[in-house]
This record gives sequence, structure tokens and C-alpha cells, in this order.
Amino acid sequence: MVAPAIVDERPTRERQLVRFLAFGIAVLIGVSGLTARLVYLQFVRGQVYQARAEQNRTVTEALPSTRGLIYDRKGRLLVANEPSYTIKIRPADLPFSKRDEVVARLSGLLGIDQADINMTIDANPGSRFDLVRVAQDVPIATANLIAEERLALPGVEVAVESKRHYTDGPLTSQIIGYTGAIDADTLKALKDQGYQPDDLIGQAGVESSYESTLRGVYGQETIERDAAGRKLQVLSTDREAQPGDSLVLTIDTKEQRLAEKAVTWAMNRANLKRGVMIVMNPQTGEILAMVSLPTYDNNKFAEGISRKDFQKLLRNPEKPLLNHAINEQFPPGSTYKLVTGLGVLADKKLGPTELVQTKAYIQIGADKFWDWNRAGFGRLNIRSGFAHSSDTFFYQMAQRLGIERLAYWAHQLGFGAKSGIDLPGEVPGIVPTNQWKQDTFGQPIFPGEVLQAGIGQGYDTVTPLQILNAYAALANGGRLYQPQVVREVVDADGTVVRPFAPKLIRKVKTSAENFKIMRLGAREVVTSRHTFNLVDVPVVIAGKTGTAEFGVRDSKGLLPFHNWFVAFVPKHKNVARPDSELAVIGFAYDSNTVGNVATEMVKYYLQMHFHVKGDYRLTYLLNKGNFYGGN
Amino acid sequence: MGVLKAEPARAQDWAAKSVGAAWRAFDWQMAIFAILLAGFGQAMAYSNTIAAGDGVFDAGSTFARGLIWTAFALIAFVISAAFDYKWLRTFAWPLYFANLGLLGLTLVIGDGVSGAARWIALGPFQFQFSELAKILMIIVLANYIASRQKSLDSIWTILGACALMVPAWLLVLLQPDLGTSLVLAAILAGMLFMSGASVRWLTILAVGIIAAVPIAWTYILRDYQKGRLLSFLYPESDPQGSGYQLLQSQIAVGSGGLFGKGLTNGTQNVGDFLPVQTTDFVFALLCEELGFLGAMLVLGLFIALIWRVLLTAWRSQDPFGLAIAAGIASMLLFQLVVNVGMVIGVMPITGIPLPFITHGGASLISIAVGLGILQSINIRQIRAEW
Repeated sequence: MVAPAIVDERPTRERQLVRFLAFGIAVLIGVSGLTARLVYLQFVRGQVYQARAEQNRTVTEALPSTRGLIYDRKGRLLVANEPSYTIKIRPADLPFSKRDEVVARLSGLLGIDQADINMTIDANPGSRFDLVRVAQDVPIATANLIAEERLALPGVEVAVESKRHYTDGPLTSQIIGYTGAIDADTLKALKDQGYQPDDLIGQAGVESSYESTLRGVYGQETIERDAAGRKLQVLSTDREAQPGDSLVLTIDTKEQRLAEKAVTWAMNRANLKRGVMIVMNPQTGEILAMVSLPTYDNNKFAEGISRKDFQKLLRNPEKPLLNHAINEQFPPGSTYKLVTGLGVLADKKLGPTELVQTKAYIQIGADKFWDWNRAGFGRLNIRSGFAHSSDTFFYQMAQRLGIERLAYWAHQLGFGAKSGIDLPGEVPGIVPTNQWKQDTFGQPIFPGEVLQAGIGQGYDTVTPLQILNAYAALANGGRLYQPQVVREVVDADGTVVRPFAPKLIRKVKTSAENFKIMRLGAREVVTSRHTFNLVDVPVVIAGKTGTAEFGVRDSKGLLPFHNWFVAFVPKHKNVARPDSELAVIGFAYDSNTVGNVATEMVKYYLQMHFHVKGDYRLTYLLNKGNFYGGN
Repeated sequence: MGVLKAEPARAQDWAAKSVGAAWRAFDWQMAIFAILLAGFGQAMAYSNTIAAGDGVFDAGSTFARGLIWTAFALIAFVISAAFDYKWLRTFAWPLYFANLGLLGLTLVIGDGVSGAARWIALGPFQFQFSELAKILMIIVLANYIASRQKSLDSIWTILGACALMVPAWLLVLLQPDLGTSLVLAAILAGMLFMSGASVRWLTILAVGIIAAVPIAWTYILRDYQKGRLLSFLYPESDPQGSGYQLLQSQIAVGSGGLFGKGLTNGTQNVGDFLPVQTTDFVFALLCEELGFLGAMLVLGLFIALIWRVLLTAWRSQDPFGLAIAAGIASMLLFQLVVNVGMVIGVMPITGIPLPFITHGGASLISIAVGLGILQSINIRQIRAEW
């Protein structure tokens, strides 16, 4: 059988081999071109693109450290870290066209003014790609609501952050301070130290002065992110965060509470605008209590204070954000007679028992410089002159010293310079000298001004802490310490990193004997009943009152005045010995009372401190009036 | 001894032939290449689904939708393979007008991104009729070319084919879908060339069109369109703007290296750095996750598939079958080169999908129909039988 021949009857026209070959070549050329490009991208430039893909997806992010805690000297926790919800905005993710809508919605949810939110966003210290904190300590329900509405709220993020909770709020706010959002200038200065645009930083108190101690060291992690910048996962922790160290304050919360109670009582009773009390251990410079009223609640700051509330604090004429114990200076009045008295003894311009004739006034040219007691006290030695606070006595002492020596002894006792206390914003006060007067007013000191400088009037200004510290030096026999509010620094494990050590500024350059004379004088202030019934309190107290005029004379030609009382308690009831472990100062701003409010304030504190039975306060002294000729 | 006459098969031959004979003629290689390519596409759909954080079998996930479309595509393939392709000639004109109707309908009720009218929603699915239009136009043009066998040398055959194409072409351009309109033009050119149309006239027309490009560039295109077309040349000049897509695409491709980062491990994919990653730029992620080897495998499969399609054209005993196969081969080649070229930065960005790999029901089903017709051509060629 022969195989049948196949006759192909198809037209050959439509099948042209050359065209098929041409098409095939086109395929090969096309694919070869693509292959060549793939080789170039994946091999020749592969490394570059791998690096860029890595760059795309990874970003290093700061790992916040745990901020150190703060305890009082008895170990009571004053600041705790609590988790809280924070609302942040990344401006770059918030389209401009939607901003009003988003801000309005947030405003409704958070109860914050739209204007405030807008201002916060605009004040963002970082770039548009950095988060801005718009609300702190948001209730969980609100945080959930915002998280659920994330599609309608582009650029808005909910974060859990650690929030400071201040156990006692206003009671210790002047010492502890608060943390707040870092501003652009600070960020610029501290960026190298790892500060982030949405960081919180200590703004007042030890939160500020011990910022670097409390903060710890931020860690760093590499995170994988997507194109929208959202965190996908943590790839690696490059550096663990080191928790900040904790502070143990010198403050005793119990004493702080007593001091606050005493000041509050006096302020309410005498209708005072401002009051200060500081309690110190003269042997070490440790501050046991420091009260400055009116004050503020630092928890308000921790929760994210509203602009309105903050403005209210700023506008308050009594300046509640200032610690009046150190941030403001006032005329010291008669408390300054310690400087004049000690100086004149030290310079041997007055003998220890030398009697000086006091008068109704001292006349210089046409001006009469009156004693507060317009009858004079007759002949007084240094102790009784101090006890009666005789102005004409100390006018003469100032004349004997001259302005430069007076200033020298003022400086020796710590006036005219910052005490160096570990709190921010301390002011130095003014100790007038010829040079100072020349620099400030272009004139030399006039003789009358020397008299005023000798009794703590005129140009003399001081902080309450400076007076207390000078009297602490008196109480301890001549050692001027740098006051401290932080006793120890301990690390996260509780190990003491920096133990307490008193910091001696100087030994005042005069004999212990002179200090003893002045201490006896201070005791005589009490025993002479210059301070009324303070001597009846069953505690041996020595101290000095002060009434410092300031401001503008009223219709009767009288000046408003502040009241001071600074006291110390010898350990063994003997003021001759420099063993006091308790010094207190009370300051009543613009008091204008019948008696010395500050004395009553300190008396009340000491009564409570020593658990004295009975109440020795003389409330009638707190009635309004003007007893000047003063003390 | 007798002569066995080879002649074009008739419809009734199908029934007369044994099923076994039909399966022997079936081009298994073509089917396997196509299935492997679809497998790559589904693998990328899986990766995308994981990257998007969806459950793999969640309704509406890229992967699940891909599976459903693959099932539809298989059905479409079987139906069109079983159907005698020669009957299509009978339906050529109704198909033509149905095609224009669907494209017109898309313009009226279609949806798309930023004002375009690209697809029609069919329940939970979107169907892009311009994809189907490619296959329908191939059938219509093949019918036309087959009917003009005697005058292939004439310029009028070429112009007639162009005239047939113009209405559909304009409707697609109006959507606006520049990519598909370019594909249609490529199909037209490929079919005319392979079917034996006058090379002289084709060349003259091509030269004329190329000459017209500068005129269109100067007077028709707007600046932003020019910018978009040219941005592929300088992606680094505006990395956050017009060059972003391309730059991220090249980063994805380039960072893949030889073996890739592994399926679902592409950082450009997971991090969502590459927009339209599931559609036109999916090949970039394939390069990132499967590397140079994966890309080569895909390109190789495309070459193999186009080879089988050309073989079908060669074997076809009538000019209609040849023209259809030529059209499908042209479509595959053009879309492959332009899409991959765009992804790797040697072609302007035009919305042209990569067959099998780009996710999209219309694209997959259209290809399946096209391959089904090719199998129908294969099966229905008379072989020597005794």
C-alpha cells in the first residue's frame, strides 16, 4: 500500500516564512532589550537599589527612657509616671484643605479651642513630618473614638505616653515644677542630646534643674515603616533606653504641709496677697520646706494645661508661677541689721559691750532719719540694739562701717549673689556699693543712703532664701552653705548615685565670738517681748523681725510694707551654742497689719512643728492697720 | 491508492471526529505555558493579599478574586475552544457592533479613577470592556483580512482595516485609555503584516505616522501630558512627584537581585511604597520578590507562548485563523514589551496591563477567549488520517 500523497490546497500567499521570522526576531529583540535592562537594574545597579529600598522602609526612632521619680526625704513618692493617652498630629499628613474640618472635629472631641489646636500645630518646633502633641491625658473613651475615626482625621494619631502625676500637686509645685513641650529654640540647642520635636522637658522646679538627671538616655530602634510612615514592626533595638535617675529631696512633706498651713492661715487671716515660708537645717543647708503662695497645680501642666488657664496664671498680678522664695527680691528691712551688727563687730568699729546713744532721729544735712520708736531707746549695746531693732543705733553703725564695708559683710553673708540653690530662676538681690550706684545711676552713694542701707531699706533687696541662709550661718556659727532641695540622686535600682554632701560656700571671715553675740541678740529679740508673746512658747527661739517699706506713700504719708521674721531654734535650748538644726523664715508681702504677720506665721509653724500644747497666736496683730514706726 | 484531500474542515467534522483525535491536536504546550503564567499572576496576587494584611481567602481579597476570575477564564477558554472558530466569521459583524455598543456603554455608565470611564461594575466585580474589545477587534479584523485575500497588495485593504478600527479606537481613547488604544494599533499593524499586506504601503504609512508625531507633540499634547510621557526619562528629577512611581518601581526591581526577596517578603510591596502595585506595576514586585530568575522565567514563558501562538498561525489552513493568531501574538508581544518596559523605566507610563500577571478579570478572560480560539484553530485543522 502506498501512502497517500497529501495535496496541500491551501493558498500559500498568506503564509510567508520571512514575515514569521521577522516577527520572531521582533520578539527576541524586545525580550532581549527588557532582559538587558533587568540585568542593569538588578545586577549593575542592584546594590544601589537595595540600599534605597532599605532606606525606604527603615527609619530609626527614639526610644523614650523612663523619667526618674522624685521622693521626699522620708521616701514618700512625690512624682509618679502614669500611662496616659496623647493625641498628636503629623502636619504633613493633614491636607491643608481638610485642616479646618479636622481641627473642628478634634476640638469637639477634646474640648479644646480650635484656636488653641491651631496655635499648637503652628508652634510645632519640628518639621512638618514630626508629630505635634495637641492634647495630653485624654480620657480613654475619647482616645478610642479618635482612633476609630482615623479615616476622617488624617494626620491624627493616638499615642500612649508616660505622664507625670504629682502626688501633692500645688503643695510641692514650686519645688518640683513640671514638664512641658519643648520649644523650637530649646530643641535646636538640645537636639544633639537626643531631644525629639515632640519631647517633654522640665520647665520649672527640679524637673527643670535636674532635667538631665531625670531624663535618662533615650534609646534607639530601627523600625520598618510603610510609605505612609506607619510603623510596621520593630526590626532591631539599636540601643536600649536608660531610665533616668530619681531624686530624693531634702523636703519633708510633713514640714512642707505645716509650713503651708501656717502661711495659708496668715494669708487668709490678714488678707495677704503673697506669703513665703522656708525651713532649713542650718547645719547642712538642706531645705526642709519651701512654701510660696499663691501657687499653681503642676498636675494641670502634666495633663496639658489649656492656653486659657495658662494665660490666667501668667496674668495673675501675684505671679503664682514664680517661687517668691527665690525668684523675686524684696527690701529686707530690719532683718538686715544682722549684716550691720556683725560687720561693725567684725571690723572692731564697736566693742562687744560698747554702749551707743540712740536718738529720735539722725540728721544728715536737712534730712532727718527717724528711729521707728520716735522717743529713742537711750543707750544700747549691740545685743539690746538688735533686740529693740533701734534704727538710730544701726544708722550709726552703718556710718561707722561705710557703704563698702557694709557691702563686704553683706556679701560675706550671701547677699547680692545667688545662693546657688538647685532650683531655676534664682535672683541675686542688690547690695549697693559706690560702684553699683555709679554704674546704675551715675552718682555716688549719698550719706543718707548709707544709713538706709544699714537697716535694710533704700537700695537693699534680697530674696527670702538669702535672709534665711544668712541667719542659718548665724545659727551654725559662721558657715554659709549652699541651700539644696535635692538630697540624693538614686538610680533605677535604688543605688545612691550621688550621696548628700553639704556644700560650704564660705566660712564668714569673723570670729565665732561675734556670731555668738549676734545669736544672743537674736534671742533677746524674743525675750525682750519685741515679738510679744513668742517668748512664752515653750521652745527656745531666737530670731529677728523686719518691716520693710516699699512702694508709694498713702494719703497719710505712710508707706506700705512687708513683714519678715526669721528664726532659729538652738538644739539644746542654748543660743550660745551654734547647734541649731532648724531655721525658719516667714515673709508676708504687702502686709500692712497692726503687728508682724510673719512672726505669727513662724510662731504657728513652730507650735505645730514642736507639738506645742496651747495656741500662742495673737490674731489681733493680723488686723489691718499701719503701726509704722515699725520694728 | 488514493489521494487524500486536505481541505478546510467543516463544522460537522467536529462531531465526526473522535474526541481523542481532537485532544491530540490540542496544543498542550500552549495551555501549559498559559497556565504557568497565570500561576505567576496568582502567586503575586497572593503576595499582594498578604501585604495588604487581608486573609488569603477573604471575599474581595486580590487572591480570592483572582481565583474566581481564573475559574471564569477556564470556562471561557473551554467554550471558545469547543466553538468552531470558523463560525466566528458569521458573527463578525454582530460582534463588531456589540463591541462598539459595549465601549459606548462604558463611556456612558462606566467608572474609573479621576473622571475616567474605564470599567463597568458587575455586582462585586468590575469589568473593563476595552480588554474584550481587543479580542473582538481581532476577530473582526481577521474576518476582514480573510475576505481581502485577493487584494492584499492594495493600500485600500490597509486603509479599510484602519477604517474598521477607528470607531473602536476613538471610543477607547475617549475613556481615556491611551494604553489600550496603542494596543489596538499594534494589533492592527501585526495582523496586517503577518497576513501578507503590502510591506511597501505599511512602511509608507508607518513613516507617515512617525512623521506626524512631532506635529502632535507640538500642537495637540498639553504640557502636563508631555511631562508625564517624558518623566520616565528623568525619574530622579522629581522623586516625590511625577517620578515617584517610576523611581519606586525601579527600586523594587533593582533591589530584587538574582533570587529576589522571596514571595511576600518584598519591602516595597509590604510597605506600600509602590502605587498600583496590584495592577500595572505588579511586574516590579515580581522582580522584587522573585528576582532576576523569576523575571526571566516569566519572560521565557512569554516567548514560549508567543512561539506556540505563531505556530498556530503557521499551521492554520485558512487566512482567518492565521490573522487571529497573528493578532493575539501581536497583542501579547506589544503588551509584554510596553508593560515591562514601563516598569523598568524604558517606556513611558501608559496603563497597559501585563497579560496573566496583572490582576484583572477582563484581561484574563479576554486572553482565555483568545487562547481558546487558537486551540479551536489547532483542533480543527485536517490532518492526514487513514
